[in-house]
Parts: sequence; C-alpha cells; structure tokens
Amino acid sequence: MKRTLLYAVLIVGVFVSVFPYLLVVLTALKTGVQLSTTQPWEPGLPPTTANLERILAGDFPRALLNTVLMTAALTAGQLVFTTFAAYAFARLRFRGREPLFWLYVATMMVPSAVTVIPLFLIMRQLDLVNTWWGLLVPYLLGTPYGIFLMRQFFRGLPAGLEEAARIDGAGSLTILFRIMLPLCRPALGTLAIITVISSWNSFLWPLIITSGEETKVATVAIATLKGGVGVDYNLLMAGGLIALLPMIVIFIFFQRHIVRSVVLTGLK
Amino acid sequence: MTGFSRSGLSRSGAARPAPPCGTAVGKEHERARSGGARRFRLGDWHAYLFVAPSLFGVAAFLLLPVLIVFGLSLFDWELLSEPEFVGLANYERLAGDGEAWHSVWVTILYVLLCIPLQTVLALGLAVMLDQRVKGIRFYRALFVIPWMATPIVMGLIWYWIFDPRDGAINRALGLVGITGPDWLSDPTWALPAVALVNVWQHTGYTMLFFLAGLQGIPKELYDAAAVDGATPVQRFFRVTLPLLNPTMFFVSVTSLIGAFQVFDTVFAMTDGGPSGSTEVINFSIFQTAFREFDFGYAATLSLLLFVIILVVTLVQVRFFSKRTTYDLS
Repeated sequence: MKRTLLYAVLIVGVFVSVFPYLLVVLTALKTGVQLSTTQPWEPGLPPTTANLERILAGDFPRALLNTVLMTAALTAGQLVFTTFAAYAFARLRFRGREPLFWLYVATMMVPSAVTVIPLFLIMRQLDLVNTWWGLLVPYLLGTPYGIFLMRQFFRGLPAGLEEAARIDGAGSLTILFRIMLPLCRPALGTLAIITVISSWNSFLWPLIITSGEETKVATVAIATLKGGVGVDYNLLMAGGLIALLPMIVIFIFFQRHIVRSVVLTGLK
Repeated sequence: MTGFSRSGLSRSGAARPAPPCGTAVGKEHERARSGGARRFRLGDWHAYLFVAPSLFGVAAFLLLPVLIVFGLSLFDWELLSEPEFVGLANYERLAGDGEAWHSVWVTILYVLLCIPLQTVLALGLAVMLDQRVKGIRFYRALFVIPWMATPIVMGLIWYWIFDPRDGAINRALGLVGITGPDWLSDPTWALPAVALVNVWQHTGYTMLFFLAGLQGIPKELYDAAAVDGATPVQRFFRVTLPLLNPTMFFVSVTSLIGAFQVFDTVFAMTDGGPSGSTEVINFSIFQTAFREFDFGYAATLSLLLFVIILVVTLVQVRFFSKRTTYDLS
C-alpha cells in the first residue's frame, strides 16, 4: 500500500517534469485554428508541419547555426584551458598554487549579474560589440567552476602515476596527454556536457553583446518572436521545439554524465 | 626527488616542438637553484604555462569587471556622453530610490516563494528514490529533464501554459468549473507563477545532490536507529538530516546565489510587469543599463545585488559551520 503511494507520487513527478515538453510538441504541430478549437493537451489532427517550415524559412536557421558554432567554440575552449589549469592545480607544485586556487574559488562567488555591465563596456572599448570575439572571449578561457570540478577529479587519481612516468623520463606534457587524459575521459565528458548545456542555453550575454544577424543566436531569436501584441504561439513553439531538441538528444545519450557532475563536486 | 623532476624537465623540454620557451626555462632553472629547491621544483614552469590562459580569463573577465563596477558606480554615464565623476551621488540616489528597494523586495519575495518549496520537493523526491525503488534510473533521468531546458525557451512555453484564455492551466481549471486568474497579467499571481516555473526547472537537478548525499549514508545507521525504537519521522530528523548537512550547505548556497540573479524567465514571461510586480533586481539592472543607458546607476544597483548575495552566503556559512558535521568516510 505504502509502495503504491510512493510510485504514484513518483509518476506524478515524472508527469509534471515532462508535461511542458509534451505541450511544445503538440502545439508546434497544430494549425492556428486547431490551437483554439482543441485543448492544449490534445493533439491537433491531422498534425501539420507548416509551423516548422515557416520558422525554418526565416532567419532562424542562421541563428541556430550561430548557436551551434558558439557552443562548439566555448566547449572546445573550456575543455582545453580547464584541463591544463585543473591539472596544474591538482598535480603540479608551483609557488603560489594555493592562494591562486583560492582566488579562483572566490571568483565563483562573483555573480554574473555583476560582471555583465563591465564586460559589455570592456568589449565596447575593444570595439568587439556585435562580433564573434565579443560573444565568445569572456567565456572561452575556462571557468573557475569547471577548473574546480576537474581538479577534484585529478586529485582522485593515484599519486604514484606521475612518479612512475617521471622515472621513465616523461615530462609534464607527456604525462598529461598520455597518462592523465585517457584516465579522465569520463570527467571530460561530464565537463563537456555541462558546457554544451550552459552555452546552448545562454541568453543574457548574447542578448546584450549581439544585435545583427551575423552573431544572433537562437535564444535571442526566439525571444524576439514574442514581441508585440498577439503572440503567434504556433511559431513560438515550433522555434522552441527545434531549440530544445538537441538538448533532449544529448540528454538521452549522456544523462549519466549529468549525474556524474553531481558526484564530481565531491559531496557525498 | 629533485633528480626525477629535473630529468622530467629536460625530457619534456626536448620533446616540445618549438624552442622559443628556452629563455623561460633558463630563468626557472636559476630561480629553482637559488630558491628553496624543495618547494620550487623543476618542471614547475609548465604549471605556469598551464594556468596562464585561465588566469588571464579570471583576471580580465571576472576580477577586472568587479573593479570596473566599483569605479563605474562613482560616475554618471549615459554611454553617448562623456562619463562624469559624481562621487557618491549614485549611492545617495539609491538610498532614496523607492523603485530600487521595491525590486529588492520583489527579489526577496521571489526567493522565499522559490527556494523553500524547491528544496523540500527535491529532498522529498530524493528520499523516495532512496527507498530501493525499482527503475530508479528512469525516474532520476526524467526528474532532471526540466533542468536541460533552455530557460528563455521554457519561460516562453510557460507563458503559453499560463495564457488566461487558451493556456493549459486555465483550460484545465475551466473543466472543473473554476475561472482561473489572468496569471501573468495579474500583479498577485505573476511572481508566484515565475517562481513556480523556476521550481519546476531546478527541483530535479537539486534532487540529484540530495540523492547522492543520501546514498552516502550507511544503511546500518537506520537499522540501529530502528532497533532503538526510532520512528521513521524521528529517523529522518535525527539521522538523515544531520548527516546531509554538507549537501544541504552546498545546495542552499548555490541555489540561493542562482535565485537572487533570476533573469531569463522574468524576461520571457512578464518583462518585469505587471506594474513592476516581477521586477527582480537583476531585471532592474538590465533595464537601467541597456534600456535606459544609465550605466553608472546600473553599476550601483549591481553592487547592491553583489552585497546582498555576499551577506546571504556568509550568513549560511555561519549557520552551517555552527552545526556539527559528521564525517562518514
């Protein structure tokens, strides 16, 4: 009896989690007429692809491509620079290591809400507003959070690894690439997934720093669909569906990495 | 020991494709010889190279901005005109600015609507999943799925769900004979609606942390408590909660920092309205800077948010450090 109640609550939880996604799919496949004649949770019959075609005919595909490029660049940058820094903090000894690491940890406390205005002014000073560099560069060199996660992982590796390799004459770079990186594939996967999600979803910075078609990303493009009176929900949901789909696919294939990101923070 | 690292350096130095770092190597050699060889081992110059890019990032895009915000708050700058030094005028303006304090109040209200509910739900779900549930991975996965959603897109989707006439919520209420409110254009309901969307988005991910914490608690402790006659409720409050202290600390610090900065969902759902009832402080900052181009005052507002977040975080550090932490390892 108790078990039945438990599963009932869990099923309700699953339903609530998934319901908005379901609505997006249903609404994106309805005509404007079906939208007002059917209940939101009912499918519009027959389903139509007109909304999807409409949104793909405009400048949305370009914005989507920009999002893909931005996500790829930020993820690559994050993986490379975070790995180097985290490896140094975790496994190499150098003067000032501890204070420097705590400086990184302290900057994790700086809210992004505080940095957005000065970042915009810095980019404006450098004439990078509305350029790819302006969009990417503040988040390209690795985040303190990512470095923190990867450092935790590197520290968990056995201490003897480097000693043995050094006796065999391997240098830091060789050790990092030949020994450490193969061992951290799972952690790198997790870092990559987290970065892909946060880059794909980023909104405030792209909204502020870009304005032209060249660099406009999908989140900003979708937000502009709502402007004005009388929102075209069909079109909005079609755009939303396309923007959410890659995240869903990533989720289906890589969800264990997301669970691992929690374990990596070192909390038991 | 030094012998190993020295050979390590020469080998890796030789293995490097391009020699221009040669001078740097030489310098490090000298410093390593003159300084304490034990603390400053050879091979360390690699570490500086490894750290350099991210250090530049941290310095230029995190620390420098904080300095700029402080400086900027002393200026009046409309972007097109020249910045004008005004001393503490922005702070005086802030002290008497009813709208700014209103947005602080809205933010606090939002946090109170959001965080307790989200934390209790997440903990509840985690406790349930920890009961040797069949198909735990299925439930866990689907609970996390809202967290993946692009907040701005999901905000717009919920904007549709909350639509007074055709939205799912009011249509469902209509079926049972209730006329739902206008939600997002009703000053009473707009903020709770925005908070609810954020609870929806973040509960599952928060649950993951609690679940990981719960799974680290040895089951023998529960058995022992049960033998001593503790009821399930007592076991939860006397065994589970105290042992979850580190998780609770992490979860509460990070979710509060996030909640105080809410922006995307407000932008998507209400644009700060109706009549300012959802104008949280981060939205005010955006509005002041990028719609009114009042950069000096916007910087002052973001410092205010910074201070609030800092104080809230420090209070939590004090609170949790006073409580006993049990080491399970």
